[in-house]
Amino acid sequence: MLIVEDVFTSYGMIKALNGVNLSALEGEITCLLGPNGAGKTTLMFTIAGILRAQAGAIKFDGQSIERLSAAKVVEAGIALVPENRLVFPTMSVEENLVAGAFIRVAKDRAGVDDDIERMYTRFPVLKERSEQMAGTLSGGEQQMLALARALMSRPRILLMDEPSVGLAPLIVEEIFQIIRDVNADGMTIMLVEQNANMALSVADKFYLLEHGRVTFEGAPGELEQDDVIRRAYLGTE
Amino acid sequence: MVDFIQNCIDGVMIGAAYGLLAIGFTIVFGVMRRLNLSFGPSIMLGAFFGTWAFLTLNAAPWMVVIITITGTVITGIYVERLCFWAIRRDATIASMVSSFAVWMQLEEVAILMLPGRTYPFPEMFVSGGLNFGPFFFRAEHLTTLLIAVLMVVGIRLLLYRTAFGLALRAVSESPDAAKYMGVNPSRIIFWAFILVSLIGGVAGYLLLATDQQVTPYFGLWVTFKGLIAMMLGGMGSISGAVIGGLVLGIIETQTQWYLGNAFKDMSAYFVMFLVLVLRPGGLLGQGIVERHDLAFRRV
Repeated sequence: MLIVEDVFTSYGMIKALNGVNLSALEGEITCLLGPNGAGKTTLMFTIAGILRAQAGAIKFDGQSIERLSAAKVVEAGIALVPENRLVFPTMSVEENLVAGAFIRVAKDRAGVDDDIERMYTRFPVLKERSEQMAGTLSGGEQQMLALARALMSRPRILLMDEPSVGLAPLIVEEIFQIIRDVNADGMTIMLVEQNANMALSVADKFYLLEHGRVTFEGAPGELEQDDVIRRAYLGTE
Repeated sequence: MVDFIQNCIDGVMIGAAYGLLAIGFTIVFGVMRRLNLSFGPSIMLGAFFGTWAFLTLNAAPWMVVIITITGTVITGIYVERLCFWAIRRDATIASMVSSFAVWMQLEEVAILMLPGRTYPFPEMFVSGGLNFGPFFFRAEHLTTLLIAVLMVVGIRLLLYRTAFGLALRAVSESPDAAKYMGVNPSRIIFWAFILVSLIGGVAGYLLLATDQQVTPYFGLWVTFKGLIAMMLGGMGSISGAVIGGLVLGIIETQTQWYLGNAFKDMSAYFVMFLVLVLRPGGLLGQGIVERHDLAFRRV
């Protein structure tokens, strides 16, 4: 469904991605593991059109998207849940959800309202807090809001950057259960995660990213679990 | 007592225009976290286009309205392209300094266009006034108030009821997150400048048509009034800007009446000083203080 071919991205002189190849299959959860600075977030941003790839191709359902603007990528059906959630702090929870559907809110207000109701059924806590300012929610609730907000654009693939960062272990369990549920409803997910144990528990397939390159790919269990985790945190060498 | 109330009435009328100026500052500041020091001067230049057309081409009063507002919008676009669009997002100070440089440039343009100091500005097409018991309402003031109220209502509807408003608020809260939702921040900022210049052009026209004269230093005057009103009310909030404008207007008219013209500006600065010491976030206390709070709570 999503194919990344030989992608190079750099920040000025610093090369962050050195020819990344990977793919995400429809209906699966694909995980990107790797140590800090391996280029996981850069890859997400490159796919989402926030950063430009210097070389390589990104195909989404056969359509080339590596030259599209961030807004066009959203319209194509790719939504990003950013690291640290980045909810709009002084907007209400409901306004955050409406903002998530920005690309179609002017044309299809009724559809947006239906989707908000659907999000409230899936995340009852957001309904309780619908009038509250998003900045006053707890970390876990903000993560749910960020996820719901991304779903509001009706994506076909969801890119999630470090959903567990800064959350208590119990909340992380809850968030990952939600990720499983969303996936069970047919959503394709690509997940960047530092918490390798948690990530491997939900992944259908995972890639190990080191120094801007994919150094291992497989299904959970193919590589000795300890070894994966060691490399995910520390890298090889 | 009659004097006091009459002063309040006049203060509210003039304060309504101050409120519009403060809204102009606050929208740009809210969206970009940068101060546009060229806001006042671009209104001044728009007004100079208007008065120039009036003096040399004998333009009709309604044409002066249109020329003033269009001139302000065009100057606003020029400022946006030069000082904000062309400068990297993290270079906040560079934007402010260059908007100050453009201020000087715009003043020079005005002086070259119409050498000399003071020029007449055509009056509004309304005049006279309304007596209500012992109180008197100037027609220009009533027009200013009416238009300001309509504009504030319009701005609120725009910000809270339309997709553009949603995008604008999203960009002001988190430009990155807004981008992930499919908003194009630089396009929103461009339209925000047009909106702000429209507001500024209208406010400038109302103020000048009441005074019936314009000088190249009107830009400085607008900057003072707008910034004080914005800081009084609280940065980043529309209602704060309106309240700040009204408070400033009332303080000015009261001190002018009771203490004389010399004390008018001094009292405005004094009140601003008090507010900043006692409530650094402004009267409505939103903005910086609250954002800090939120940031701490999240940590």
